[in-house]
Amino acid sequence: MKYLMIIQGHNSPELLERLLRVIRHRGFFVQKINAECTGNCKLLHVTVTLSSDRPVSLLSKQIEKIFGITQVAVLGQAQPVKESA
Amino acid sequence: MNGAHFVVQALKQQNVTQVFGYPGGAIMPLYDALYDGGVAHLLCRHEQGAAMAAIGYARATGKTGICIATSGPGATNLITGLADALLDSIPIVAITGQVASHLIGTDAFQEVDVLGLSLACTKHSFMVQSAEQLGPIIEQAFQIAQAGRPGPVLIDIPKDIQLADAVIHHLTDTVGDSLPLNNPLLKQAKSMIRSAAKPLLYVGGGVGMAGAVDELRSFIKTSKIPSVCTLKGIGCIAYNSDYFLGMVGMHGSKAANIAIQECDLLIAVGARFDDRVTGKLDEFAPHAKVIHLDVDAAEIDKLRVVELAMTDDLKLILPAIETATSILNWRTHVAKMKVDFANRYDHPGGAIFAPALLRKLAQMMPADTVICSDVGQHQMWVAQHMFVDRPENHISSSGLGTMGFGIPAAVGAQMARVNDTVIAVSGDGSFMMNVQELGTIKRGKLPIKIVLIDNQRLGMVRQWQQLFFAGRYSETILTDNPDFVTLASAFDIPGETIVAKSQIQDALTRLLNSEGAYLLHVSISEAENVWPLVPPGAANDKMMENLE
Repeated sequence: MKYLMIIQGHNSPELLERLLRVIRHRGFFVQKINAECTGNCKLLHVTVTLSSDRPVSLLSKQIEKIFGITQVAVLGQAQPVKESA
Repeated sequence: MNGAHFVVQALKQQNVTQVFGYPGGAIMPLYDALYDGGVAHLLCRHEQGAAMAAIGYARATGKTGICIATSGPGATNLITGLADALLDSIPIVAITGQVASHLIGTDAFQEVDVLGLSLACTKHSFMVQSAEQLGPIIEQAFQIAQAGRPGPVLIDIPKDIQLADAVIHHLTDTVGDSLPLNNPLLKQAKSMIRSAAKPLLYVGGGVGMAGAVDELRSFIKTSKIPSVCTLKGIGCIAYNSDYFLGMVGMHGSKAANIAIQECDLLIAVGARFDDRVTGKLDEFAPHAKVIHLDVDAAEIDKLRVVELAMTDDLKLILPAIETATSILNWRTHVAKMKVDFANRYDHPGGAIFAPALLRKLAQMMPADTVICSDVGQHQMWVAQHMFVDRPENHISSSGLGTMGFGIPAAVGAQMARVNDTVIAVSGDGSFMMNVQELGTIKRGKLPIKIVLIDNQRLGMVRQWQQLFFAGRYSETILTDNPDFVTLASAFDIPGETIVAKSQIQDALTRLLNSEGAYLLHVSISEAENVWPLVPPGAANDKMMENLE
């Protein structure tokens, strides 16, 4: 299965590293990723295309728990997704 | 006031009175501030011991435990303790020194990227980058450690920030607004409970962590629903109830495992369907609808897709779904299983049978005794055969299964509960993993009672080698163990060795009556195994009960 996830959080030097670790550990593969900071780099926006045999809710719930994450949205499921980032 | 003194003041603001740690170069300013700062510090003899003492302190009290280490090897030595706290959801704040800011990233002496190392074994971690950040970060660290599902938080503080002028920070008022419970879900839960013919409570460590033991017991009193528990749930339910079947899972009781397989409604309370509990997941509770109550939304549907879930505070949910049931036949059946499959302590010969010794110890120990077990066969025997009346009194490395946990955890528990008896039950393999903490016991003059179950083997691994690896005992034979009584005496801890059943009563009396620390070295046969055992990959009702 392929998923498009959009994540937003308060930026910190290790936030992207933290996200990628959780994605890997929970059994998801990054196929494409874009990350950019806004607002004097106080916010980080990440758009990531993921693949996995596991339900995406297993990952999104884990990402929601990361301190500083303010938004997680999953835009596509099951089908190849049209990315918007 | 410099940053280090500020840290000590901030700890006092968080009502911290006791910390555990080990000094070193990059944390020296903080140790200077601790010298006369008004927060008690116990020197452990390894940073892993400090982390596990902090866990023992936290688990025995419900408060946040604190451990401190220097940069580099000091920080890496904390890692196993942090992972242990993460798996068991224990609130810990670990403070590490870091090399000065301008040296970070230069491979400086004793520099390691502890923030990077900590990502997989903490709930959150901070690197302090300025003196202004110290106050807010320390406050946030305590909030994160305790909020929702508790867990460990690490604060890495460069040495120059410890030495810089502090910036005063005033604590913010954080009165949490609890959201109202979802009434339709409450009604649905009550309806499911009332209509079930064979409901069963599956109680995990989340109940104790939420401080919801009274609410759980009230729920049981009203609903009369039978119950089982996980390793971390021990102590949440009154152990002498006819309808409490004990621990479920790989080494759970036969009655508990059968009840799980037979029930038609499973109410999981603060539990997470761990593989050691479920056995073959597809065949776990095959006839049951499931209600899952857990504060961590990420646990819902993670392993078992459930019919109804609520992630509110257990202290609020349990009273809200309290309801009476009519399940007399089921209760009668469960009570009969408890009697039919009760543990037996008749054991042939004169050699010591560890389960019987531990049962006797539980009967003799004072009320409100804290039991800290290590990891291995003895840990399972403690869970099966000893009993406590609240979860703070059973401290065991459950999720991570960390050998070497028992002695330092007992150090932390004894520091927290100075007037209560603390018993560490260890095995000869685990004991040697953190044996240096006998020095901490001596230093703190701690009256910890140590029961060392010695089969001269890594017993649990040996058992699996016997059962599943054709008796090929690869590196599990420990006949070269030291003389443990002599070893303890080097730390001024008296002790004795017993080898026969006839010695048990008097030896336990001497152990419990000792004024200071005491080592009871119990020699047992290497052939003793932990039963029952659900083999890996099998359903919970496919238990092995002996070698045949």
